[in-house]
Amino acid sequence: MSQHSTKKGELDFPVRLRDKETKRQKTGVYFKRKVGWLFVIVSIIAITIFNFYPMVQAFLLSFQSGMGANLEYVGFDNWRRLFGDPTFIAALTNTSIYLLIQVPLMIVLALFFSVLLNDPKLKFRGFFRIAIFLPCVTSLVAYSVVFKYLFGIDGIVNLFLLNFGFISETINFLADPVWAKVVIILAITWRWTGYNMIFYLAALQNVDKSIYEAARIDGANSIQQFFQITVPMLKPIILFTSITSTIGTLQIFDEIVNITNGGPGNATISISQYIYNLSFEYTPDFGYASTVSYVIVILVIILSIIQFRVAGEKK
Amino acid sequence: MKKFYLMLVLLIGMAVLAACSSGDEEASEGSGSEGSSDVDSITIWAWDPAFNIAALEKAKEAYDGDGEYEVDVIENAQDDIIQKLNTGLSSGTTNGMPNIVLIEDYRAQSFLQAYPDAFHPLTDVINSDDFAEYKIATTSFEDEQYGLPFDSGVAALYVRTDYLEEAGYTVEDVTNITWDEYIEIGKDVKEATGKNMLTLDPNDLAPVRMMIQTNGSWYVDEDGSTPNLADNESLEKAFETYKKMMDADIAKIVSDWSQFVGAFNSGDVASVPTGNWITPSVKQAADQSGNWAVVPMPRLDMEGAVNASNLGGSSWYVLNVDGKEQAADFMLNTFGSNPDLYQTLVKEIGALGTYSPAAEGDAYAVEDEFFGGQQLITDLSAWTDEIPAVNYGLHTYAIEDILVTGMQDYLNGAELTTVLENVQGQAEAQLK
Repeated sequence: MSQHSTKKGELDFPVRLRDKETKRQKTGVYFKRKVGWLFVIVSIIAITIFNFYPMVQAFLLSFQSGMGANLEYVGFDNWRRLFGDPTFIAALTNTSIYLLIQVPLMIVLALFFSVLLNDPKLKFRGFFRIAIFLPCVTSLVAYSVVFKYLFGIDGIVNLFLLNFGFISETINFLADPVWAKVVIILAITWRWTGYNMIFYLAALQNVDKSIYEAARIDGANSIQQFFQITVPMLKPIILFTSITSTIGTLQIFDEIVNITNGGPGNATISISQYIYNLSFEYTPDFGYASTVSYVIVILVIILSIIQFRVAGEKK
Repeated sequence: MKKFYLMLVLLIGMAVLAACSSGDEEASEGSGSEGSSDVDSITIWAWDPAFNIAALEKAKEAYDGDGEYEVDVIENAQDDIIQKLNTGLSSGTTNGMPNIVLIEDYRAQSFLQAYPDAFHPLTDVINSDDFAEYKIATTSFEDEQYGLPFDSGVAALYVRTDYLEEAGYTVEDVTNITWDEYIEIGKDVKEATGKNMLTLDPNDLAPVRMMIQTNGSWYVDEDGSTPNLADNESLEKAFETYKKMMDADIAKIVSDWSQFVGAFNSGDVASVPTGNWITPSVKQAADQSGNWAVVPMPRLDMEGAVNASNLGGSSWYVLNVDGKEQAADFMLNTFGSNPDLYQTLVKEIGALGTYSPAAEGDAYAVEDEFFGGQQLITDLSAWTDEIPAVNYGLHTYAIEDILVTGMQDYLNGAELTTVLENVQGQAEAQLK
């Protein structure tokens, strides 16, 4: 029915109005559907042109290779090349490490803060909420540069650790493969925890207080309340935030480029930065770059399916 | 569930689109490609307002041809220019492309080969014998001269004479030396003054690049694309030298540009081996005036190596779009044939060109008090002519990223031959 042209539908309408009751109702439904389609058709066309068409083109591109404009189809060569490419494997490993450590860390922290800040007896609640949310409004580049200087060899972190006797000589955080990753993870966690916390805070407003009251009467302590009530009630939001965070972390680019530029060596390079390097830093090979891009697509799909299964939205 | 997947697909689509769309946005300004071949105005893209843009403004003033057109100079960051050129040229449309663009020499070959026909040859426009020989090698392709060579990246060793003196050395002792001798002097300097000899950034192999070019060698073979790493004796020697500097503990480790500049401005290091474009940054520390001297780059301790090398530098390219004749005319009548312009550039901007006839001018002979009265520009200009010409080829930055990892392994104790064979294998796998 959606295939009917809208023009025809409009013409039909007045005639059918005079028909029997049941038929009129039916036509009304059709009419409403057509009008509905009219509303969405604009965005559908726009999405098709600006989203799906480029996606298909990028997919075709991922089977081509060559310098700049001299692209030719190479079949599955790019995919084969992918698995023997040490830089890609390093980028994939680094991104997975960020993902596995940072996302759970951030989700747990955000949950923890939101429960603390939801306590009506807490003083200066507004101040703390703003303080934790504030990092999210800072520019990605600006905060990355600040982190870079904080952890520089004569940065404030080193000075602090040195003056309080935690270390005997300065640590070159950004030149050490392990520390550099730690700095990146700290930076992203600082930037995005508040963002996720806001979702939990909003969801917590909708949890009925009487549930907690009943739990208290039954003798549940606050830890039990947290795990038995808060977490299950927030499950859909936890799922949502973990998926958006996963996608965000898979695409991480700004922080890496500005804090370490992928270094030392390849120790912090991410998949997105590698895509950028393949396209603009080295002699451009857009074909291979889009093959690497599609790896992110595939990863996002797989990880989201897993998260859905684990979080168990029953159909 | 289904809705979620649809959302997901949309999200991914948006991400892909966002990744693809950046770069074209501002491209619509600038030259038009419709209509006749002559245009009313030509557009030039370049970066660095204090250097390249300033040079263009001087060139506009100095233009002495009889073409009638406006010249629009548009400043962009270098990274942005690379992105816009790549996206624009690979889309096959010349819309929004500039008439003239500045390209770094290390990247020139990759643009010339990745986009054949996108650039307008200047073979018949300029006389390539007028320019430093090493620049011609990197700016030409298949017997055609495409680039108009601009600034010299001649490398030099900036030294603190007061620190050297304290350690019992004179400027002569560091003139025309090898890197091995340099390291020995560095050890003595550190012992006498407690200062490090130089800064090193583990993520930046510029010293290695400068070292191998003293011996006429590069990361790739002369064809410009075959990686030349495993059996490259110069590279082997450069790696060994780099490690020696680390082991001798004469290097202050830095991780970015501001730390690098800060190290010599604050007097933490006794020398700076780098491109001559560092001169204005060295001079920033006015209180150190008279304590600096500039000597030729140390060479690799090998047969055939010379005390001259290069780091960075860029050249002008005319794009094959409407207005190309006018763009070529502008280039010819400014940077291509006007020695006076180069005097202005040296005097007012401190930009050293590679146009040989300019070297006889007065501005080149000025004595620089900051460097103890040295005729700095004359010296640099003379060294420029001795730089061994190499074909930088297509893959300088790609190979360097691989080498940086290899260098880490080597510094951490891996066998050098194994490391170089490894990087050779990686480079061959990655560069096709």
